[in-house]
Amino acid sequence: MATGIRDRVAIIGMGCSKFGELWDKGAEDLMVEAFEEALADAGIERSQIEAAWMGNALDDINIGNSALPLAHALRLKTIPVSRVENMCATGTEALRAAVYAVAAGAIDFGLALGVEKLKDTGYGGLPLRTKGLANDLWMPYGSAPGTFAQLAGAYSARHGIGAADLKRAMAHVSWKSHQNGALSAKAHLRKAVDMETILKAPMIADPLGLFDCCGVSDGAACAIVTTPEIARSLGIANPVTVKAIQLSASHGWETGYGEWDGASVRNTQVAAQRAYAEAGIRDPRSELSLTEVHDCFSVTELATMEDLGLSDEGRATFDILDGRYDRSGAIPCQTDGGLKCFGHPVGASGLRMAYEVYTQLNERAGERQLAQVDFGLTHNLGGAPFNSVAAVSILGRLN
Amino acid sequence: MTQTAGSITAVGSYLPLLRLDRAVAAKALKHFGLGGRQAGHRAVAGWDEDALTLAVEASRTLVATPPARVVFASTSAPFIERAHAGVMVDALALPRATRTSDVAGSRRCAVSALLDALLAGQDTLVAAGERRSARPGNAAHFSFGDGGAAVRTGTDGPAQLVGWASVSHDLLDSYASHEHDTPYASEERFVRDVASARIISPTIMAACTMAGIEPHAITQAAVHEPLSGMWKDVARQTGATAPNHATTLSAAAGDLGAAHALFALALAFDAAQPGDHVLLAGFGSGCDALVFRVDAPVAGAAEARAMLATGQVFSDTIHFLSLTGAIDLDFGVRSETEQKAQATVIERHGRDTIGFIGGRDMAGNVQFPKSLVPVRPDAEGHEPMADVRLADLTATLKSVTADRLNFTPDPPFWFGLVQFDNGARVPMELTDSNPEGFAVGDPLIMRLRIKSRDKRRGMRTWFWKAAPAARPALATDGEG
Repeated sequence: MATGIRDRVAIIGMGCSKFGELWDKGAEDLMVEAFEEALADAGIERSQIEAAWMGNALDDINIGNSALPLAHALRLKTIPVSRVENMCATGTEALRAAVYAVAAGAIDFGLALGVEKLKDTGYGGLPLRTKGLANDLWMPYGSAPGTFAQLAGAYSARHGIGAADLKRAMAHVSWKSHQNGALSAKAHLRKAVDMETILKAPMIADPLGLFDCCGVSDGAACAIVTTPEIARSLGIANPVTVKAIQLSASHGWETGYGEWDGASVRNTQVAAQRAYAEAGIRDPRSELSLTEVHDCFSVTELATMEDLGLSDEGRATFDILDGRYDRSGAIPCQTDGGLKCFGHPVGASGLRMAYEVYTQLNERAGERQLAQVDFGLTHNLGGAPFNSVAAVSILGRLN
Repeated sequence: MTQTAGSITAVGSYLPLLRLDRAVAAKALKHFGLGGRQAGHRAVAGWDEDALTLAVEASRTLVATPPARVVFASTSAPFIERAHAGVMVDALALPRATRTSDVAGSRRCAVSALLDALLAGQDTLVAAGERRSARPGNAAHFSFGDGGAAVRTGTDGPAQLVGWASVSHDLLDSYASHEHDTPYASEERFVRDVASARIISPTIMAACTMAGIEPHAITQAAVHEPLSGMWKDVARQTGATAPNHATTLSAAAGDLGAAHALFALALAFDAAQPGDHVLLAGFGSGCDALVFRVDAPVAGAAEARAMLATGQVFSDTIHFLSLTGAIDLDFGVRSETEQKAQATVIERHGRDTIGFIGGRDMAGNVQFPKSLVPVRPDAEGHEPMADVRLADLTATLKSVTADRLNFTPDPPFWFGLVQFDNGARVPMELTDSNPEGFAVGDPLIMRLRIKSRDKRRGMRTWFWKAAPAARPALATDGEG
């Protein structure tokens, strides 16, 4: 009988590059920057890493396929390296692979590194991807903001929330993230923005304005994992451990079967419930100290608060406006600025979320540091609300 | 009359949503001394419409039972080598055993094909679609219109062919070629004199003679004029007194090329009473004139009239130039998307895709596309699926956005989740937005449109897009 991975794997080192429009840095620079920080943090030798997983969603943008770019950049000599890709959930997928390998007892030290070099596309936003030659014959070519904007109208219709109230709550989501991003030295966008500016921003995909959309960034983040026993042997008395990593993926139900209301992301709901069960969390509203969720768009964060069970159905709009998820609120969300302001180098984002929770758990967050941090949740969403991969992980301390 | 000819059983028609206000748009050319005095509207195809989609839309009401033969007629067909009639068979979900052919070469081609079908007594769908290009400043840029028209023939229809005549005459009134793909027109006075006196009028006279009637006995006419106002010359020369619905159509929508005479015929049928004689004349490199005796209302005729009364007027010149391909706006790097379609994939999925054929699983759930294992949550394995065509079903919008980041030749890019009344659900592109845009809960119908255009390889694919169930009434400003 499977028992899950709760407390079977410790994170002993994490690193994160500066995120942003890094015209002078390539993927190699980003990977080395994140890795060297993690390696120093872990206090182990490079040669002790036995296997590595590289998360990269858009291999054609100056990175290349397979995980060989990682092996080359870090000069990982002959160890197994694998590329994982699961759209925007790629970063967590890389972490999951390394964690599972350690939990399985296959290796003692594993590396998970996510990287993306998006600003070599030559334009803003994510590139338009083919959906496969057969799907291209019929499936809409929507942009990322276009796919997530669909949540808004469906949410309004489902819960009877007026467009103006929803827009204001969405703006608050972005306002809060800008407040937090301004305190994150490595964040892409570090400028606080007032509500009126957010509300009056040019429309990208109705009703998402410019400030409802996250930045598209270059960046890398990584984690070095081992067993709690080895962590202790390295002098880490109470290491950060993985309480849960769960993933749920669409099988076509949302778009192909007439049940989904379009106002929520079922995979987030499912992955969250599995993660709570794996982590032993009974009441996430009182037990979670913070969340780092996939706020690719403000409305995504809004819906996610309900999908994670942190707001009652139909109430996230009001909880957000009440400041429940502000840094000073009951369950702070995106203390580092989130995708919105820290940035969204796709393959790195899941690991960047873990990096912030890890940083908070180790009380290294400086001005952003929360008073009490026991459990932190990351929510890393790939695809679109109607065809998604949701990864939810929970980190805490061993004791 | 010794030859037994067939009859028309029904007609179909289609115009794009947009109508250019010619008079306002022409002001943009005033500086250049071009544009002339304009009036009326020009039907303008959306970026995602072409001769094929326009012909298919005109045909949709005519294929409740499959015809034996499909003829596609156009002078602006997108492919040089690829039969559009064959694509129509798939788009209309007709049997592959349907006989098909494309006709082209002159604006008259659809009328010629109709005459051939009637003389053969065939059950034939003759479908014309036209989206012709012209250079800005050329009179044709305003006088042309985009649209489709179709006719179903048989042996027991309400409109019986009772007289006909043809003249072949290589008159260079206007031509287009591979080397000059927009119209090159001759002097109007020359065309007006020769076309009426030597081509159109004699042909009409001959057809009336065969029908055993005098031209003044014609009560409704659908005579394709080479130039506006020429019906007066023809009427004077022949003694005809009937209103020419082709003139009305030119003013309201433009010259629809190969589709023009067939569309005007539908308007003429709508105005006709049982017992009336209706004249149809196609022009281009000669003339075909057909006289019909109308015994009963012709199905689809009233819808053609209604088609003229709905639409959306615009007068933005740059918008017009872009939609007609007269200028190539630089949409930037985001427009550099790869849209290559593979023949192998089209071979496997093309017919079901362009036919919008979904599947009904063993439990009765309908889905698109079909799959081996149904999407139904309690499906446990491979199930057979029965074909279900979604193209003619109504639906409701479940979620939607106006995407202003994604490239489309006519922003914004509308798309959303479409819930069909039969339970099927499909993420789809939306088209023909009303001025107020789309909203959750909107009722929708399906339209065949261009899905992707691969300009580098000269390739395009088609799929269905969801459109508002109703079009706005056309704001009338006094002209036809």
